[in-house]
Amino acid sequence: MTRTDTATTKGADDQAMVTLEGVDKYFGSFQALRDIHLSVARQEVVVVLGPSGSGKSTLIRCVNRLERHDRGRITVDGVELSNDVKTIRQVRRLTGMVFQQFNLFPHLTVLDNITLAPRQVRRMPRHEAEDLAMELLERVKIPEQARKYPGQLSGGQQQRVAIARSLATEPKVMMFDEPTSALDPEMIKEVLDVMQELAGTGMTMICVTHEMGFAREVASRVVFMDEGEIVEVGTPEHFFIEPAEERTKRFLEQIL
Amino acid sequence: MTATVPPTENHDGGARREAPARPTARAWARENLFNNRHNSVLSVVIAAGLVVLTIYGARFLFVTGQWEPVRTNLTLLMMGTFPRAEQWRVVVQVYLLCAAVGLVWGGLTSSSRDRARDAGIPFSRARLRDGIRRWWPVFVLLLALLGMTRTWLPLGFVASALTVGVVARRAMEALGAVWRGPAWFFAGICALAGWQVVSGTGGIAWWWGSALVAAAVLRTTRNVRTDARWQPLARFALIAGAIAVVWAVYAQFDFSGVGWDDWSGFQLNLVAAAASIVLAFPVGLAAAVGRRSKLPAVRFLSVGYIELIRGVPLITLLFMGDLFLGFFLPTEDPLSKVTRAIAVMTLFTGAYLAEIVRGGLQAVPRGQVEAAQAIGLSAPRVLGMIVLPQALRAVIPALVGQFINLFKDSTLLSIIALTEILRIRESIHGQREFLIVGIAETLVFVAFAFWALAFTMSRESQRLERRLGVGER
Amino acid sequence: MSLSSRNAASPVAGEPSVPIVSSWWRRTGFLSAIWQAALVAGVCLAGWWLYGNLVENLTRTRIPTDFDFLTQPTGFAIPENFGFDPSLPIWRMVLIGVQNTFLAGLVGVLLASIVGLIVGVARLSSNWLVARMAQVFVEGFRNTPPLVVIVFFSFAVFSFGPLPVFPEALDLKLPGSDSNWLVLSKSRIGIPSLSAERHTGLFWIIVVCGVVAAAGVWIWRSRRHVRTGEPHHRVLWALGTLVLVVIVAFVTLGGPYDWALPARSENGRRLISGFGTSAAYLSLTLALALYTASHIAEVVRASILAVPKGQSEAAGALALSPFQRYRHVVLPQGLRIAVPPTINQYLNLVKNTSLGTVVGYADVTNLTRTSIGNANPAPQSIAVLMGVYLVFSLVISLLLNIYNRSVQIRER
Repeated sequence: MTRTDTATTKGADDQAMVTLEGVDKYFGSFQALRDIHLSVARQEVVVVLGPSGSGKSTLIRCVNRLERHDRGRITVDGVELSNDVKTIRQVRRLTGMVFQQFNLFPHLTVLDNITLAPRQVRRMPRHEAEDLAMELLERVKIPEQARKYPGQLSGGQQQRVAIARSLATEPKVMMFDEPTSALDPEMIKEVLDVMQELAGTGMTMICVTHEMGFAREVASRVVFMDEGEIVEVGTPEHFFIEPAEERTKRFLEQIL
Repeated sequence: MTATVPPTENHDGGARREAPARPTARAWARENLFNNRHNSVLSVVIAAGLVVLTIYGARFLFVTGQWEPVRTNLTLLMMGTFPRAEQWRVVVQVYLLCAAVGLVWGGLTSSSRDRARDAGIPFSRARLRDGIRRWWPVFVLLLALLGMTRTWLPLGFVASALTVGVVARRAMEALGAVWRGPAWFFAGICALAGWQVVSGTGGIAWWWGSALVAAAVLRTTRNVRTDARWQPLARFALIAGAIAVVWAVYAQFDFSGVGWDDWSGFQLNLVAAAASIVLAFPVGLAAAVGRRSKLPAVRFLSVGYIELIRGVPLITLLFMGDLFLGFFLPTEDPLSKVTRAIAVMTLFTGAYLAEIVRGGLQAVPRGQVEAAQAIGLSAPRVLGMIVLPQALRAVIPALVGQFINLFKDSTLLSIIALTEILRIRESIHGQREFLIVGIAETLVFVAFAFWALAFTMSRESQRLERRLGVGER
Repeated sequence: MSLSSRNAASPVAGEPSVPIVSSWWRRTGFLSAIWQAALVAGVCLAGWWLYGNLVENLTRTRIPTDFDFLTQPTGFAIPENFGFDPSLPIWRMVLIGVQNTFLAGLVGVLLASIVGLIVGVARLSSNWLVARMAQVFVEGFRNTPPLVVIVFFSFAVFSFGPLPVFPEALDLKLPGSDSNWLVLSKSRIGIPSLSAERHTGLFWIIVVCGVVAAAGVWIWRSRRHVRTGEPHHRVLWALGTLVLVVIVAFVTLGGPYDWALPARSENGRRLISGFGTSAAYLSLTLALALYTASHIAEVVRASILAVPKGQSEAAGALALSPFQRYRHVVLPQGLRIAVPPTINQYLNLVKNTSLGTVVGYADVTNLTRTSIGNANPAPQSIAVLMGVYLVFSLVISLLLNIYNRSVQIRER
């Protein structure tokens, strides 16, 4: 088993943004995560690959406490996740998350979706929050949709709004849970472009995705998971050209 | 009784196929009444039956029916034993409530119009003709009532009250979005004043006044910059001060009114149903959230309450309220009969509302909660800003349905000797001249009064359901 | 799955960018425990306080606080129940009341189901008039308080209606004979009933044997169908067997049962044969049946509409006949949707029989109320009454749960 825990390819300082040490997670008697060790450095883009049911989504859902891990330590920007209500809120403020099903709030307009967290969590005045939201919508290239409801947008537009909504909390880490899996093929690119641009700004990112092109071009490291454990970690070049593990080879053969 | 699909007409060559707009009466009848031999026979038989029924019904309504008991006792049926000297209060209240409803309605229309415009959805304003089509049972009821009065005064009253409502609505629509906030407040004041003009300034009404003022303060200070430490404290002080002012103002007045113990007749049916559903709402909400709680003790208590209440008929609870609810309290003088009845109806409705709200909560996808958590909202905010708005919007039609049920169930108050309309109807036939006169007529009148309101409400709620369904996605 | 050991730990090495203080009182587990404890304590305290007040008030007003009254004599006669002796204990009275409630509920449920099914299907009729009439029925009864309808039947139709008083009751004769098939009056209605003539025991034994035989035929047809694939028609076969056995038994035993047609005594004041029902009972069951039927009709309609059209089309694409499509694809799915709300309506109907109180029908609520009027303690009486309805509700929701579970298993 190859592990390059501390290896960072990008980023000036060596302090990790997200660390997982010996994390286990059970659903009843089923073990979803087995002894996960992973460290994500600042400004690093980590792409998590693996067959379905391998625990990729569970991994990132543990990082912002949508799922509670059962053993091990998880820290985000130096804050260790515990049962303390306050630390959970801090960690959630430090992380942004984009879901496969977008999960926009259908009863709020696009603008209200984005300004909700700044106004409620960061107690920003309304006009400031709206300026911020418009700025973010410019960044994801749909400022003209601000007054519409999510139901009126296409899937790709919805997902871009979801990205803007996560960015509005000014997170230090962005996590993507298969952001393009629910999209029609012609909309995938517009979302990937936004993600790539985001990576270019130096955002720390953890992406669960099946987009191999994105992994190859944008990732600083690729993590391959199977049956709840990390099988292999490496740079994209290394990973796609000469994978070390048998399981990785089999997986790549199947999908490429 | 045939559920067969109507066969497409292929025997007349399909001459006017390209004009599907409005078929001729002949084509329509052939399609819908005489599409096969079986249906033709059925149509003729039913039509004949309908003609006989219509003739009989019309004769009953206009010729043979003895409506004298209803006509003589119209005020009694509607207002019961409400003190006649105090009737002006109700008149003023109706005007104020009409104004409040008009303001709220106009505000809702114009704000949804604005939102639709922003979002680029076409918005069509309701027309008078649609209004009459949708509300005809209520208009028929009003006409029947006015037709049975002996003076012109009631007609003037109804017409002017409706005018007040319409003017308020129009004014609200004409005013810009800036005025909407103050107008909500003004509508609240109207409703409060409408309540107090009848019930007086005593009692718990000033709580409502305080809540109104507090809401207004919160709303106006909402957009003030909030990074100062003392800010919440200042707001709190402001609210406390405003409430103190309200309280001081109330203390100045000693305007006594008529409590709900004096309410009777159809008024009591309406007031009991409305008061119970309003009071039951927080109960139902709490029980619904409790039933879905992760904490076993909370869940157990909620389930116990809901299932216990839903398992027994309302009448047994009303007996409990009537016979020994006061025994649970230490006070020597018991609560009034109406208060106990409304308390029991609240308890009863709470359990049903809980199940309705639970249905709405279940309909909100899990992803919504996760997304709200992921952007850092705290648990109460996730519930209050994300889950409940979606859940409650989904259950509005069911809530209206529950209100209709409660309204119908308010007739049960007659069993514990409260003088609601059914009881009054009975007492009318205690009058010497009406001992056995017009038994069916008074009952038909009562049934129609309930039917007209319940039917209109249920149709409106179905309409709302369709609209919400369309607007959502 | 405990995380407690790690919570006290200070943040990881390297200075955290956000200072955190981990307090024991902010831990999620602790908070939830506190919440629950507070709530339970609050509810217990409130309950204890209320109960204390109740007991104190009862003792103060000299009302007994136990359930001994149940063994005391009832002290009043039950209307329409001539066999009941007023000196029987109150718990016997409660049982009679339950029986009457059940009687009204059962007949109401049967009527409501039949009418509801017909009206529900009629609402989807291709005949515009039929569909409209069904809609008028549904909207009419659904939006009128059932109590008003009950009172209407009781007063406008019976007590003050066009019918004569019982001594001058309307005897509707069978055509060409001197005996009645219906006796109509304001207060009592006589309908034909079955009277046992001879060999009834033997007859029922043979009927049971017939049921067993029908079951055997059912199994035989099913096995044959599985083995050879030929259509089983097991419903027809089994029913045919049963009907055949019953008819043969009835004829060979010389008619074990006969119709007892309603007849009045010489002075016309009593019904001497046939089955007599009171106007109160009829008003209650008819009104509730119509009210509930209007709800069931909506359930039926919604359930038929809820089965996606694609299902029927898919079955048609498999070349199933219209009947097969309906029997194997549409009906099972529609039924699955319809059963839970229908059972809910049945439960409502049973609870609504308590409205019989108003027209003087001797259901359990009415009897309890009379008994409270006879100075029996109200809290305990109402508790017993609620218990009766709760048992009813719990049994029905238990059945519903079993049904739902079996449906869920089949869905997997």
